Amino acid sequence: MVVGAFGVPHVPHFPSWVEDGHPLGPEIRRLYDGVATRLRAAEPDTLVVVTSDHYNEFFETVPIFCVGVADRVAGPSDYETIPRREVRLDAPLARDLHAALVRDGFDVAMSRELAFDHTVIAPLHFLVPDVDVAVVPFFVSAFLRPLPSAERCFALGRALRAGLERHGGERRIALVASGSFSLEIGGPWIGEDSHTGVPEPAWLERVLELLRAGDVETLVAEATDEQLALAGNAGGELLDWIVVLGAIEPAPPAFLDSQPAFGHAFAAWPA
Amino acid sequence: MSVYAVDKLCRRVVHDPELRRALERSPEETLRAATPVLSEEEVRLLLAGDVGRLSRLGANSFLLHQLGRFGLFGLDLPEHGKRMRAEYAAERAARWGGRR
Repeated sequence: MVVGAFGVPHVPHFPSWVEDGHPLGPEIRRLYDGVATRLRAAEPDTLVVVTSDHYNEFFETVPIFCVGVADRVAGPSDYETIPRREVRLDAPLARDLHAALVRDGFDVAMSRELAFDHTVIAPLHFLVPDVDVAVVPFFVSAFLRPLPSAERCFALGRALRAGLERHGGERRIALVASGSFSLEIGGPWIGEDSHTGVPEPAWLERVLELLRAGDVETLVAEATDEQLALAGNAGGELLDWIVVLGAIEPAPPAFLDSQPAFGHAFAAWPA
Repeated sequence: MSVYAVDKLCRRVVHDPELRRALERSPEETLRAATPVLSEEEVRLLLAGDVGRLSRLGANSFLLHQLGRFGLFGLDLPEHGKRMRAEYAAERAARWGGRR
C-alpha cells in the first residue's frame, strides 16, 4: 500500500552546512524534519525516489525515464562532502514496476548497475539517516532537452500508482520527489552574488499556491516546457514532483514550507 | 564548436581525479590529448577559463560550472559567476532590468 508522498530538495551543500554550523543549518534541519517526521510515522518499507540525474549517471546515453533494478547502490558519486552510504534496493519491486510500466505503454529504460549522485543520497541523508528502508530509484530526464512533458510525467505517476497497487504486496510504500522548482546552476540566469540563483521567484510562488490548493491539474497545465526553461537550468526538476503527485489523489499537503532564496520546497502528503 | 567534447570534459572533471591532476599539472597538453577531440577554439577558451563564451557557443553551463568548482583554468565558483554574468549582461538587463 502507498503510505504517502513527500517532496524535498537535494542541495549538495546542505548536509555539510548542517554538520558544520552554517547559519542556515537549523532552518535546513527544521524543514527536512518537517517531512522526515511524517515520512517515518508512515513506517515505509520501500521508498520510490523520483529524481533527475545531474549528468553523473547518464551522460553518453540519456533515458527520458529509467528505473534502477540493481540489488545495492552506493553514492554519492559526485560530492565527497555528503556521507557516503550503500543503499539496498527493492529490486523485485523495481523489476515488476518496470515490466508493468512497459506493458502500460511507458517505454522506461532500466539500469542494472548504477551509482547514486547527490540527488538521491542528500534526501536519504536527511529523511532516513539510520532507517533500514529499501529504495526504488526512478529517474526523469530534467536537464538535457528534450524533456518529457508534464502531462506525460503525470500520466506516468498514475501508471506507477497502478503498478504499486498491483505489485506492492504487503509493502508499505512511500514516494519521494527530489528537486527544485526554480533554480539556475552556473548559467546565464544566476544571481548577482552566487553561481546559482532563482530566475523565476513568481513561478516558485505559483507552484506553492497550486500545491497548497491541491490543484495538480492546473500545475500540470502550467508546467510547460517554456515555463520550466524560464525557471532555470534545473527548473525541469518539478517534473519529479509531478510524477509523484500523479501517484496520489490530489489534496492539500499536510506540510508545506519553502526556501525562496533556493527556489525549492518541502512537502508531505501522508496517506 | 563541437559542444559535446567540452561537455564531456567537464563531466569527466567531476568523476576523474587523475584528469583533474593532469589539467592542473599541464593543462594545454591534457586538453590536446582529450577525447572526443577539442577544437583549437575550445582549447583556447578553456585555457582562458572563458566559460561565458563557451556557454554562448553552446556548451552546457551547468557542466561548465564544474571547472570552477574544482579550481581549474584560473576559475573558482565566484569567478565563474562573474564571467557568466558579464557574458550575458545584455540579456539579463533585458529580462530583469533594474529589478535585481
